[in-house]
Amino acid sequence: MSVVQKIEELYNERGKRAKELHDAGKKVIGYFCCFVPDEIITAFDMVPYRIQGSQNDPIDEADALLEPMACPFARSCFNMALKGEYDFLDGFVAPHSCDTIERMYHIWRSNKPSPFNHMINVPHMMGPSSDVFYRKELDYFIKRLEEFSGTKLDQNKLRDAVKLYNRRRALLRELYDLRKENPPRVSGTEITKVLVAGMGIPALEHIELVQDYIDEIKGRPAPKADGLPRIFLWGNEIDDIAFIRLVEECGAHAVMDDLCTGTRFFWEDVSETNDPLDGIAKRYICTHCPRSLKPQDGNRQEDLESRFGYMKEFISQWQANGVIFYIVRYCDTCELEGPDLREYLNSLKLPVLMIEDDYSTSTIGQLRTRIQAFLEMIS
Amino acid sequence: MEANQQIKTTAVKGTDTARLVRAMVKNIYQSAHEAKANGQKVAYMMVASQYDEILRAMDIVPLPTENYAGLCAAKRDMDRFLLKAEADGYSQVLCSYARIGLGFDSLRKELGHIPEGSPDGGMPVPDMMLGSSAVCDPRFKWFQATSRFLAAPTFGMDVVAPPPQADLNEVRDYYIKYQRDQLLGLIEFLEKQTGKKMDKERLWEAIRLGDKAWQIWYDIDRLRVAVPSPMPSQDHFSIMVAGHYYSGTQIAVDFYQKLYDEVKYKVDNKIGVIADEKYRILYGGGLPPWHTLWIFNYFESFGAVFVIENVYRGFDPVEVPSHVKDPVDYLAWRAFLRFTRYHEKARAHSGNPIVEKLLGLIDDYKIDGVVFHACRSCRATTIGQTHIKSELGKYTSIPMMQLVSDMVDLRDYSEAQWKAQISAFIEALEGREKG
Repeated sequence: MSVVQKIEELYNERGKRAKELHDAGKKVIGYFCCFVPDEIITAFDMVPYRIQGSQNDPIDEADALLEPMACPFARSCFNMALKGEYDFLDGFVAPHSCDTIERMYHIWRSNKPSPFNHMINVPHMMGPSSDVFYRKELDYFIKRLEEFSGTKLDQNKLRDAVKLYNRRRALLRELYDLRKENPPRVSGTEITKVLVAGMGIPALEHIELVQDYIDEIKGRPAPKADGLPRIFLWGNEIDDIAFIRLVEECGAHAVMDDLCTGTRFFWEDVSETNDPLDGIAKRYICTHCPRSLKPQDGNRQEDLESRFGYMKEFISQWQANGVIFYIVRYCDTCELEGPDLREYLNSLKLPVLMIEDDYSTSTIGQLRTRIQAFLEMIS
Repeated sequence: MEANQQIKTTAVKGTDTARLVRAMVKNIYQSAHEAKANGQKVAYMMVASQYDEILRAMDIVPLPTENYAGLCAAKRDMDRFLLKAEADGYSQVLCSYARIGLGFDSLRKELGHIPEGSPDGGMPVPDMMLGSSAVCDPRFKWFQATSRFLAAPTFGMDVVAPPPQADLNEVRDYYIKYQRDQLLGLIEFLEKQTGKKMDKERLWEAIRLGDKAWQIWYDIDRLRVAVPSPMPSQDHFSIMVAGHYYSGTQIAVDFYQKLYDEVKYKVDNKIGVIADEKYRILYGGGLPPWHTLWIFNYFESFGAVFVIENVYRGFDPVEVPSHVKDPVDYLAWRAFLRFTRYHEKARAHSGNPIVEKLLGLIDDYKIDGVVFHACRSCRATTIGQTHIKSELGKYTSIPMMQLVSDMVDLRDYSEAQWKAQISAFIEALEGREKG
């Protein structure tokens, strides 16, 4: 099977590999968002599984237990759990990333408990005391995992896990580097598949897959110049190719992102500190997510720079000439962040299209006209 | 020019003391304007952030932006602010309190003055903005967004609560320490803004007054177990102004004492909200429909009185250990104890602290039915209602209903639909009575 076929299979049959591992006696720990360190779970010889929803399936059973004005991504995940699609999970971990995830954790736990259930309280504020608190929450998470697994955390295994995930991060950055070419040899649609494929398999297997994929891409002939716009995507959860494929079908290259399912989860390494938990805590709490509040820094312009300045590198190095926001509806922090970010990007002379969507492939087609009009404007 | 006709939105109150609240609300905004004129510092703030007494101890005039949104809705003057925020790029599903606040600030900036005819004279430009993560996400994010429309220093404070399953003995120390550190960070920020140090004795005094007011408020609610009900929920949605917007002042203490005396008199003399109380209803949760508070009177026309509620008086009195000698430590301890009040009970029974609290209310207040209000733009107070309703159903067979609209956005409200639902609910209550 070629690497492309492997990716395709993992993308289409999500959970299959994790289920195999579960059936073989491995403990699979499902979690949400970018605030639960994979390294800790891996150091316990367990398999971290990033919980995903399904944009293709209607949300039905969850509506009886979870209000429809909750984030549709979270509702979709819960819907899948209720239908038994996450029965292979031995553990369920939710960070307090936002109101919906925090409240849904209790509902999920009550209606579909896993053998191990835990919530990590992630500070919303950023600063020294928040670092200390988050570190304490990770200590408590470890203690709970020790009770569940019956084994003490091996610091050397944790150090190894830090190295392992940093290797994966480096490879994913290398993969993203291949998108700097104009036109890129790899599409945003393909990148989404390989990222999603990695969410449900052990890191080592994903590393092998990404390495093979990089080799495969490098072997592709350079595409002819096409003059199409290069798009930077910002938003929250895109674990389905439908939206990015639509952007590309409309005549653009999706070249870079700041998404929960994209750079946000892998871009920055974990520092290899003496106590590995120091590096882990520092890295994860700094995840760029609108739900985390940086202390105000100077005047309006300075503060916007402090909040969004990291995106400059993404935009300049990947030569983006337009930005599309994809906000899964009901994400209050994204909804509040969007206009500020648009102001900042506009100040960099970048046009922005802000899209709010229902996390469903059935509604994505309606966005075609808006995307086409935007691309026409920036072309 | 044709004068705008005020549409009635408010409810007829059950107590005389609740009628005094309207002047207290007006005074919040008037005081802020006066403070600005006198050079005193004014802060946009979020209620229930556990920092109220600190503001009082530092002579900072609190300006509660959420309350202002509710006020605009009660006056049916919210559309121009909501639409302005939406025109500025804020989603129609974003917290409508935040949309009103952002729309108001945006309009004020655009016009160069407070929008004409703003309810209660509008809000002056604050000297600072104090967000917090207590209750929901928009409350710490909103003021960051507001910096688009006004240049005031902004501070965000974390307020943390452990999940019900947490072993409190394991997490207590570091939760309290973090809360304390966050409060100290706020104090440092405020000292910088005001140019003066906080006086700990003054903070103790504000805490004493705050605790006293909340104790009397709790005592009033305990009186409300009486049959017939001496004070309905529509009064609660007014009288909470003292506990939240005047916390840490003698005004709040005096107000609740007056209310206590009135409620006690009604209990002693068996004076009910309505002459013939047939059904006792629990307001199970969700922000109130500020745009249509008269709906409580509509229930009363069927003999159904809302006798108690699970919103706004979110905390029962707690006892902070006597070894806590520092007022900031006290606030951190008090917050932890408030948030974990029903944790142990939940662990031993249903697993859910809110379910435990509601079951206690159903029992104590002889409740015949429960009504929740789901607000389309408030995830924090709405997500979980359906689940709680379902969990309660495991322990009680009383009728329960969820009405859907929004706390301030009238576009999410349908009077016809509500009346149809209420009719069915009353029938269920009647059926149960006959059965």
